[in-house]
Parts: sequence; C-alpha cells; structure tokens
Amino acid sequence: MAMVVDCQHDLSFPYWTSTLRRFDPDSPFFSSGNIERELLAKQVALDLTEDERNQLEKMVDKDARGVFCPIVGCGARLISLEDFEDHYNARHTASCSVCSRVYPTSRLLSIHVSEVHDSFFQAKVARGYAMYECLVEGCGLKFKSYKGRQQHLVDKHKFPTSFEFFKKAHPSKKQRQKNHRKQAMHKKDEEASSKMEVENETMDGLVSAVSKLSTSDSSPSTVSFGRRHTRGLPFVPRSVQHEKRADSTPAGAKR
Amino acid sequence: MADDSPASHRRDPIKSSVGNVAAQRRRQNAVTVGKERRESLVRAKRLCRVGPSADGEVPVEGNDMITDEEEFHLEAQTSSAVEDLKSAVAYQGKGAMQKRVNALRELRRLLSKSEFPPVEAALKAGAIPLLVQCLSFGSQDEQLLEAAWCLTNIAAGKPEETKALLPALPLLIAHLGEKSSLPVAEQCAWALGNVAGEGEELRNVLLSQGALPPLARMMLPNKGSTVRTAAWALSNLIKGPDPKAATELIRVDGVLDAILRHLRKSDEELATEVAWVVVYLSALSNFATGVLVKSDALHLLVERLATSNSLQLLIPVLRSLGNLVAGDSHTTSTILVPGHAITDGVIKVLVKCLKSEHRVLKKEASWVLSNIAAGSVEHKQLIYSSEAVPLLLHLLSTAPFDIRKEVAYVLGNLCVAPTGGDGMPNLIQEHLVSLVQRGCLSGFIDLVRSADVEAARLGLQFMELVDMGELTYAAHLFSLLLI
Repeated sequence: MAMVVDCQHDLSFPYWTSTLRRFDPDSPFFSSGNIERELLAKQVALDLTEDERNQLEKMVDKDARGVFCPIVGCGARLISLEDFEDHYNARHTASCSVCSRVYPTSRLLSIHVSEVHDSFFQAKVARGYAMYECLVEGCGLKFKSYKGRQQHLVDKHKFPTSFEFFKKAHPSKKQRQKNHRKQAMHKKDEEASSKMEVENETMDGLVSAVSKLSTSDSSPSTVSFGRRHTRGLPFVPRSVQHEKRADSTPAGAKR
Repeated sequence: MADDSPASHRRDPIKSSVGNVAAQRRRQNAVTVGKERRESLVRAKRLCRVGPSADGEVPVEGNDMITDEEEFHLEAQTSSAVEDLKSAVAYQGKGAMQKRVNALRELRRLLSKSEFPPVEAALKAGAIPLLVQCLSFGSQDEQLLEAAWCLTNIAAGKPEETKALLPALPLLIAHLGEKSSLPVAEQCAWALGNVAGEGEELRNVLLSQGALPPLARMMLPNKGSTVRTAAWALSNLIKGPDPKAATELIRVDGVLDAILRHLRKSDEELATEVAWVVVYLSALSNFATGVLVKSDALHLLVERLATSNSLQLLIPVLRSLGNLVAGDSHTTSTILVPGHAITDGVIKVLVKCLKSEHRVLKKEASWVLSNIAAGSVEHKQLIYSSEAVPLLLHLLSTAPFDIRKEVAYVLGNLCVAPTGGDGMPNLIQEHLVSLVQRGCLSGFIDLVRSADVEAARLGLQFMELVDMGELTYAAHLFSLLLI
C-alpha cells in the first residue's frame, strides 16, 4: 500500500475542508433511497377483485345526514338529491347560457363566451386588435385570429395539431329546438332589462345582449343569467362496476 | 369521518328525502366509486416496465402470469373493444351517451385487470383518437372518468406507450379545472402523473401546456384521495432536472400553506407524497429553499421524524431536511443555532435515524450531520457532545461502506474549524484527540484501503490532520498499522 504522507504539502492534494455538500435529486448518492420511489413513477389503476368489492360494499352503508358538496372548495351542505342537483347546476357547471356548451373552468367558459357570442369582441377583432387569448393559464399572449392562437398553442405549448378549442359541430336540430324550448320555459328575469334572445346562434341575434357582456375577465361565472341549465344530474359518477341494472337511466340523468 | 367545517369536501353518501330505489343504488355506487378510486391507488403500486416485484404488501392479481393463449385472447378482446368504441363514438342517435360509456367501460375493464394491460393492442387498434374525442368539453362525468382511466393505464407502461398520450394532454389538463367533479379531476391527475413520470421531455411538454397551476390547486384541500394523487403527480412533474417548475410551484398562491398544513396534520400516506414534493423543491430551487427555511417547515419535518416509524415517510422527510440544510448555509447559521430548541430537536431526530436499522436513514442522517458539522465551532461542539458520536464511531467500524463514508465526513468535520483562509486547516485538538483515542483511526485506514477514490482521499486527509496535530500516540499507532 503506497502511502503519501508528505510534510511539504503537495498542491494537488488538498487538506480536509469542512464544507456543505449538496446533491441533485437524481444524484447516485440518493439512489438507494430512491429505489422504492422509482417503482411508483408510474401507477396502473387496477379494478377491484370480487372480494374487495364485497368488502367495500359492507363499508358503504353508513348513516349520514345529508352531504357536503364534493366539488373542491365548495363545502355547501345539501339535504336531498334534488337539492344537490339544483346546487350543482347553479354553482358548478360552467355552462354557456347561450349555447349550453360546458367547460371545466370558469376561465375557459369566459373565453368561449367572448369569442363566440360577443359581437363587441368580433368588432374589435375586425379592427385588428389582438383579442384571442392563449388558453394556457399564465401565458398571457393574445392573437388577432383564432388560427393565430391555434398556431401559438402548437408551436409554443406543444399542443397537438388536432386540438380544437371551438368545435363547430352543433347539436342536432332536434336537440337545439329542445334547448330553446327549455330556455324559454325556464327563463328567470334576474337582470333588470336584458334578456338573452337566442333565436339562432349568429352574432346578429345577440346585439341586444352585448351590453351585458364585456371582454374583461369579470363576467361569466355569472352563468346565472337566469338560465336554467337542463335538468338532470350530469355528474354523479354512476357505477363503474359491472352490474346488470335494468334501470340504467335513473330519473333525471338524461341530458 | 367526523363532520367538519364546510371547508371540507368529502365524498359522503348522498341521501335523498325521496325513497327512490334507483337513486339509492346510484348513491351507493357514488360512494363506492370514490372509495374504489382510493383503493385502486393504494393497490396499484407497480411500475410496469420493471417486472413483478417481490413486494409482499400489494395483493397479487390471480392472473399475473397468463399464458400466451390467454394473452392472445385478451389482445383480441381489446381490439374488438376499441372497434366497439369506434362505432359508439360515431353513432349520433338516441342513447349515444350510454353507448359510449358502455364501450369505454368495456375497454377500461380490459385495461385494468392486471399490472400488464394489453396496451399495445389498444394502441394499434387506434384507441387514442377515440379516447381524446371522449374527453371533449361538456361530456358526462362518467364518460370522462372512464376515458381518463383508460388513458391512465395506457400511460403506465413503456415509454413509447406513455408518449402516445400526447394528443390527449391538453384535454386532461383542462379537466383538472375547478368545475370538474373530483373523481374526474383525480383520474386526469393520475394519468398526467404517469406521463410526467416518464421523463424530462414529457415533463416539459406538460409544463408548457400549463399543467402545473391546476395540479397545484388540487393540493389545497385538507384531505381526500384527490389531494394525494395530485401531490404524487406534482412530485413527478417538478422533479427536474430543470429547477423552473419547482420555483413556479412554490409561488402558486396557497401552496406553501397547504404543504405546511399537510406536513403538520395529514395522515402518513398524504404526508409522504407531500414530503416528496418538498424533496424536489428543496433540492432544485434555491428560491423554494429560502421560502421553506423561513417558514415552519423545519420544525414540522423534525416533528414527523420524531413521531413516525414509517420508512416511506421518513425517507423523504429526512432528505428534505438534508436538502434544506445543504442548500442554504443560512439554515445552519441562522435557524439551527446551537442553544435553540429546534437545533436540539434536529440532533435528536438524526440520532434516532442513526439508531434505525434502515440503511438509507443511517446514511442520509450522517450526511445531514456532516453538513451541520460543517458550520461554526459551536455546531461542532454541539454534535461532539451529543449522543451522535458514540453511534458514529460504532458505525464507522461496523456499517456498510456507503454509511462509513458519510460518517467519516462527520467526524472529520468535527475536527476542523472553519478555515481562516490561508489554506491550512484550523484543528480542533480536543475533538481530534478524543476521537482518535476512542479508536476511529482504524476506520479511516479502512477507507484508505477501499477502491473508492473519494473514500481513500478522506482517509488520507484525516491522517494528515492527525499528523499535523502531532499526536504522538496517534503517530505511533499509525506507523504500527502501516507495517
């Protein structure tokens, strides 16, 4: 064993220094601690076995007085199923009161309403203002055309070229007629004067309603323009078990 | 489950004042689904690209080892299910929604029977574009849930299979939105977590598509399986190596508060996921480290280390502590000041880890101690007089190599004061003499003999200190051992 213990300290051999040692998360230093975690990098969502399902069903029959609304951050307390449906429709569906399209966030709904139902928006576009917002939260860029925004999503945010924010496919004529009838029936005049006339879905028909809309952010979680969304519970996750149920469409579940 | 303030949002059974049989069954199923989701998460602890592990706690599916014939049959069924889905999606007439849901469910079942689902068959048959269509805005929750579930399992396997989810990503991200129902949002988070777990490239795609803010917000509620899934997905999303995502995460409104809340109060499973988030925050982002150190985080990490015995939790908590100490010299100089209660607390839990039987805990606790020992003279004195030293000496002679190396760092740091700058080490004679007298030299000599260059260097450097200290006794012993 060759030992170099030299009193004339060789510059290439440093002294002991007492310093902080930091490691990157993927450093081999941490690899033994990472082994189990690596196994969890991806996880399959498995179905329950028969036994587990049976066990679960035994746990389910618990008494509860009403229910708390399960939507994140809501916490409203509801007594009956109908109560819940009403609450849900009023508070949690970000649905367009004009064309009934539904969105998963208020922001996307707001963008939709501006771009599709607001002739003020269209007027500004016609004058060359950049009105089409990037859909990615936090990006902030705006574009002069739908196509321009689309290209940006593909180029900058790596969206697939097949992505379409606004799908022009309309509901069937029958469905549209049904929607209009429903809206006519359930109209509530909460706003003083303006009614949302929905004769057809063109820009012209909406000029009167424009004054209620703006291109600012503040508008539409006021989805409650007084319009009742179609009745029926769009959301209670129905059974994902393979039961043979004759009554697969419980009352009110239709859209 | 006790009744909480309205701020909570559990999935309780929905009771109706109307005694409707169908509604009743629907309610039961709603609860079951919620619990099912959680049970599935708990159970599906496998990485598909590694073979079936020997992990005994997870119940093994009966059909893990399927024959070639069975596999062939499964693949055929899968292709057929995708065909069914194709026609269901194309169909516009009456009952179209139910048709779609049924077809999706069929496919989902095939994809969720075992840890090795027939993904290739599904992809080949063209499942992805169909599933993407089923994710369109306004679709029924059941449809969204089933589609997201299928995508989750497709993404849980090989890299190229995970990459196949690219067209679906913007929609999956959108359905994390605040208007989505919890089970849907959770399933989407799960799928995205799998995608993020694949690698840096996909992580960057997800980040550029804005996945981080909505996932971060899902971590804000107090409890629930959704919070846990979101935390897990986030830990995959921010793991770098680019620190940008970590810095962005800590800046999201409410995130710091949520992290601290979970570390303080949540059950061990949730705390574990959140701890991993903290691991990456503290390892990658100086900004996040600064924020965490100024908050209550250190105290909460120490609490967990003191009270928990779950290795799954202890590892990321210990490492977070280690990262916070290593990442910012302020931690040791301004927070972990000798004499403060927090400092005693830290030493105490590190000692607990040294006493543990788990290799990782011993090694990483030694690492943390070495960094504290790299502080001021007072820090060195504090450690020197603690319960740690006898344990360290014992480990130096008996533990596996990687632990011994870390221990060497601690002991050496105890003997050298912060340098004046002229290059010569400033010895702390008292510590050096005592440690040598207690027999640490042989451990260092063993390190010199090892094949590892760094270890050999450590051993030699320590010898040099001894030599400089002109410790006659030590010098004699040393030369004796050389013969």
